[in-house]
Amino acid sequence: MEPSDRELMARLVRGERDALEPLMARHYRRVYRIALAYLRDTEEALDAVQEVFVKAYQNADKWNQGSEVGPWLTRIAVNHAIDRYRRSRRRAASEQPLSEEQPDHDPHLTAGTPSPERQVLGRELGEQIGAALAGLPDKQRAVFVLRHYQEQSLDEIAGILGLSLGTVKSSLHRAIQRLRGELGGLRA
Amino acid sequence: MILLHGHWRQAVSLLACDALEGAERDATLAHLEDCPSCQVELQESQALFRTLAADPVHAAQPDLSVEVAARRVAARATETLTGPRAQWGWRLLSLPVVAAAVVAVVLLAPPLLERFRLAQPSPAEPAVTLSAAAVGRLERTVAREQAARYLNEAQDVLVTVASTPPRCRRQTPGIDLEDESERSRSLLARRAFLVDLTQDGLAPARPVLEDVEQVLREVAALPPCARRQDLEAIHREMSRRNLLMKIDLMARELEG
Repeated sequence: MEPSDRELMARLVRGERDALEPLMARHYRRVYRIALAYLRDTEEALDAVQEVFVKAYQNADKWNQGSEVGPWLTRIAVNHAIDRYRRSRRRAASEQPLSEEQPDHDPHLTAGTPSPERQVLGRELGEQIGAALAGLPDKQRAVFVLRHYQEQSLDEIAGILGLSLGTVKSSLHRAIQRLRGELGGLRA
Repeated sequence: MILLHGHWRQAVSLLACDALEGAERDATLAHLEDCPSCQVELQESQALFRTLAADPVHAAQPDLSVEVAARRVAARATETLTGPRAQWGWRLLSLPVVAAAVVAVVLLAPPLLERFRLAQPSPAEPAVTLSAAAVGRLERTVAREQAARYLNEAQDVLVTVASTPPRCRRQTPGIDLEDESERSRSLLARRAFLVDLTQDGLAPARPVLEDVEQVLREVAALPPCARRQDLEAIHREMSRRNLLMKIDLMARELEG
């Protein structure tokens, strides 16, 4: 019989490093897709996943043994993706000051052709969805990613992000409205 | 009536992404039967989700096997624990020991000196002076860290503003800046607690902090659905001041 997530975490807390791989095997793809949905860059996402598990490994002793491991890892993944995304956005913004003539959307931040070095997903539709998601405020983006890409319930999202159920609902609604405005003309 | 319908619009959005359950779902489905505008709303949101279903992220697989990733994670975790942060940890741990030693010198040195009748000045004074200097350094470090945090948060808001957020709604002209405006107000309210401009260590940052405050006030004053020309005026102001670049440079300098 395979050990449960909690048993694996308990072993990690005791410093048993060999518990890491089976724990990662269960959550690796899920955490990767959270990071990819948020960051829209395969290399960035892969690096972010590893950093998420490094954080989990180092903070295993802070994990509340009464709580589920999945939501705890998801919370770390979302917070880490938000931080990483903010850093890259700040870098991009500081490298390209605003010009006098502002287009409707700053291509570096929200839309347009991505630069090769950023290695955004190759397919055109994925790029356009990524650009639309990039235009959402952090909270709306996090709620939308957890609902659409992870199929978390509204209650679960509220628990993971530490928000009220009402805030989750209104954030999701506003995200959908904004995405409709951005992607309304697209057909898959 | 408008407010009530706002509630149904939200419920229809949630229904479109299959997030409603139980009585809430039943009530929304019942409302839809008699509400043509909600039916259109549902169709448009469902069209969005059909588009999003083709996003390659749904089927994406990591290029790295879990075995290799686990080995790298273990190596990185160990490296971090034994790296510079861990050394800082030891330095921090040693601080109380050093502090205790200083206190011991301050308290014990005068009686000992008197006992041995040494006609030398008490070491208590220099020790107290050193301690005040250390406290001063600590205060300056904290002030710089808080100012950097404030600048980073302000930059997050201004980057979103600079990226031209989407229109309020298709039918309504104007730009949706409700979140950014609210965050600006919150930041301005916290500025007095976060950043003490009288601190000597913050003197070089003062011009940038004042520029940031002025632009944040302009964003905070915008209505939730702002006019495009007002937003463009803020863009021009930010551009004229090279504000985002200055914030980035100053935040990095303050963070050391």
